[in-house]
Amino acid sequence: MAQITRREWLTGAAALGAAAALPAVGPAAAQTTQKRELVVAQGGDISKFDPHFSTASNDIRISFNIFDNLTSRHPDGKLYPGLATEWKLQGQTTWAFKLRQGVKFHNGDPFTSADAKASLERTYDPNAKTMVATVYTTVDRIEAPDPLTLLIHTKKPDPLLPARLGFYGGQIVPKNYLASVGADAFNARPVGTGPVRFVSWVKDDRLVLEASPDYWGGRIDVDRVVFRSIPETAPRIASLLKGEVDVITQLPPDHYERVNSGPTQVRGALYAGLYVLGVNSKRPPLDNPLVKQALSLAIDRELIVKELWRGRGIIPSSPIAKGDNHWDASLPPLPYNASEARERLKKSGYKGEEVVIETTVGYTANDKPMSEAIVAMWRDIGVNAKVEVVEYSVRAQKNRDKSFKGMWWSDPTSTLGDPDGMMWRLLGPGGPQDYWRHARWDELGDKARFSVDEKFRAEAYKEMTKIFLEHNPWIIVIQPYEDYGVQRYVDWVPNPNQQFEVRRFNFRMRRT
Amino acid sequence: MRGLLGFFGTRLVRAVVAVWLVSTVVFVVMRLSGDPVPLLLPPDAPHSEILRVRKDLGLDRPIGVQYAVFLGNTLRGDFGRSIHFREPAVTVVRGYLPASLELGLTAFALAVVAAVPIGLLSAVRRNTALDHAAMGFALIGQSAPTFFIGILFILIVSLGLGLLPTGGRGDWRHLVLPALTLGAFAMASIARLTRSAVLEVLRADYIRTARAKGLAERLVVAKHTLKNAALPIVTITGLQFGTLLGGAVVTETVFAWPGIGRLAVQSIYNRDYPVVQCTVFLSALMFIAINLAIDVVYGFLDPRIRPR
Repeated sequence: MAQITRREWLTGAAALGAAAALPAVGPAAAQTTQKRELVVAQGGDISKFDPHFSTASNDIRISFNIFDNLTSRHPDGKLYPGLATEWKLQGQTTWAFKLRQGVKFHNGDPFTSADAKASLERTYDPNAKTMVATVYTTVDRIEAPDPLTLLIHTKKPDPLLPARLGFYGGQIVPKNYLASVGADAFNARPVGTGPVRFVSWVKDDRLVLEASPDYWGGRIDVDRVVFRSIPETAPRIASLLKGEVDVITQLPPDHYERVNSGPTQVRGALYAGLYVLGVNSKRPPLDNPLVKQALSLAIDRELIVKELWRGRGIIPSSPIAKGDNHWDASLPPLPYNASEARERLKKSGYKGEEVVIETTVGYTANDKPMSEAIVAMWRDIGVNAKVEVVEYSVRAQKNRDKSFKGMWWSDPTSTLGDPDGMMWRLLGPGGPQDYWRHARWDELGDKARFSVDEKFRAEAYKEMTKIFLEHNPWIIVIQPYEDYGVQRYVDWVPNPNQQFEVRRFNFRMRRT
Repeated sequence: MRGLLGFFGTRLVRAVVAVWLVSTVVFVVMRLSGDPVPLLLPPDAPHSEILRVRKDLGLDRPIGVQYAVFLGNTLRGDFGRSIHFREPAVTVVRGYLPASLELGLTAFALAVVAAVPIGLLSAVRRNTALDHAAMGFALIGQSAPTFFIGILFILIVSLGLGLLPTGGRGDWRHLVLPALTLGAFAMASIARLTRSAVLEVLRADYIRTARAKGLAERLVVAKHTLKNAALPIVTITGLQFGTLLGGAVVTETVFAWPGIGRLAVQSIYNRDYPVVQCTVFLSALMFIAINLAIDVVYGFLDPRIRPR
């Protein structure tokens, strides 16, 4: 999910070192502003506006503001009403949604259940050819009995349907407008119900959006929102420090102190997900659980957090991200114990086979430095480990073909705030990281997906965690903070799942 | 007349062959280097989904068929639809061209206007403080990476002194730093080459003759030296011009400038074949057109090369 250009990390370090020597400029500690425009600089440009054609983080930062979902996940991690005001489960497999009255699309069309039905059906309509066709695989059929009621029938019980509706694939598009102009014109001039509406876009330069005056959630606190694409880290930070932009995304941890002083500050959210080393558990010696236990025990995560992340991250305790449903507060952070690691390696019968980390440079933050550190730690316990650098698109290809030699970096996002949307989505049978199978684990994951009994689900995930930590289908490394640089006059709370929103509930400008 | 036609005819045929070769190489290399589909879909998309999208994009057809379609369409000026942007590749590239031309032409103008007089002065005042200073700067301009110069400009001029914007496209103030950064290398190369070309000519017999017959030094330099030194200067200037128009990737990235260099690199990362093909085609065309222009200018400058 995280899309950071590979150059960013190389760039930043050297250049910002020089920046630190320069005096801070701009109005001294501007705590308030009269600005009516919010300028956001992100690391890459938008590719598409049609929310059903992209899941890239640079795109969904925009589509989650032009469009609304039926449910809305706030930065506190909880689900709130969106275009649906309330929802409940009827029986085991029918979710009933009551829709918000009086909502209008930016072109004046009223929003009704027909739009919601058409939007969700569009995601998996083979003719629409969307990129989110796999989001609603549990849906059997959708009914719109009256303009303000939506009934979604699922094939089996789906406790997480409301959560699914709050993330990508769930943005509601206008049925009639889309049908009349066609998908291409819609993508060029998107129309939604969200707090901002489209004005203009010059690729790789700027996107201009304006506040929708009669937004149902309240008109946002500025008149215009401008998104700029500044690919390099150092210039992006410079533009913030100079006051040209109000918010920057993807702030690397080594610039924390520089940005968190004077008129600017750092706003971070603990990432709703983990940074892990994916493991090809089919290849020796990684098919041996004892070897993987040794590898995990040999990683000094505290050192990694302290040195490579400047403290901007926590050591995970399990494959469930902190902040998710069923995260177990009683579990200790993953331990570091080099002598125990050596012991288990000896017991495993490891014969010096090569263990390779295929890393990208900057696909996930700190991927290459972490690879180098971890390989050194593994060599210390006697593992024949090495790092190989691959290009981003090669990684994508290997991911698709499931042809990694050993390990690779993955930053699984918890799309639903629940283990089902993370470890089960990725590691489950047929999932994109299906390299390891365990009968009991599979059975529990499947049952938990289709159970509406939260107590049962809690027990299931507890047991799955235990099995997981014995077999390590991922070697979990860190749960980092996702940091943004913001002007002090911007009052904004980032969402842990990279959903960037400027709605009233989490954004305003401090004014005098 | 026939000689002139032959002169252009040969060069035109060569140009067409060059463009065809470049396009073909790009076509093959892009397809060898990877598949765009996994980059388009969410990471958990199943294999069937990938196959479907590949089919929609026509990427499941044999490479020979894809190539034939590509050639046919290119001849009609149709480069296909951008996989990444979902609109015609030509439209995408056209949107980036004005910014590239604006930056490239400004950088080129800055480079030539500054470099030729500097090189000339350095040569005429050889081994003076002025010469050393100018060539010292030229050495820095030629050896410091564009990347470094750009970031330094941002940190010192924009952030430290608060003078110019850090990046983005807008009014003339947005243009100054990127144009200087982009032009630095060209400026340095042209200045150094001008100096050595002028020095070379200054040693020639006809210059001694000109001086001997009592011409003012100003005239010797302006009339006899510069014209004779022009050939290599025009060559390098033309080559630099092509580079400035198409090869501004680093400058564009540092200054968040929406030009085709950045588009090309992003499109390569995205495996957006149609856009890469279209940008490369255009760049090759520009380069070849410039070379053709240089050939013509040669003829004017040096009667010995003129087609008879």
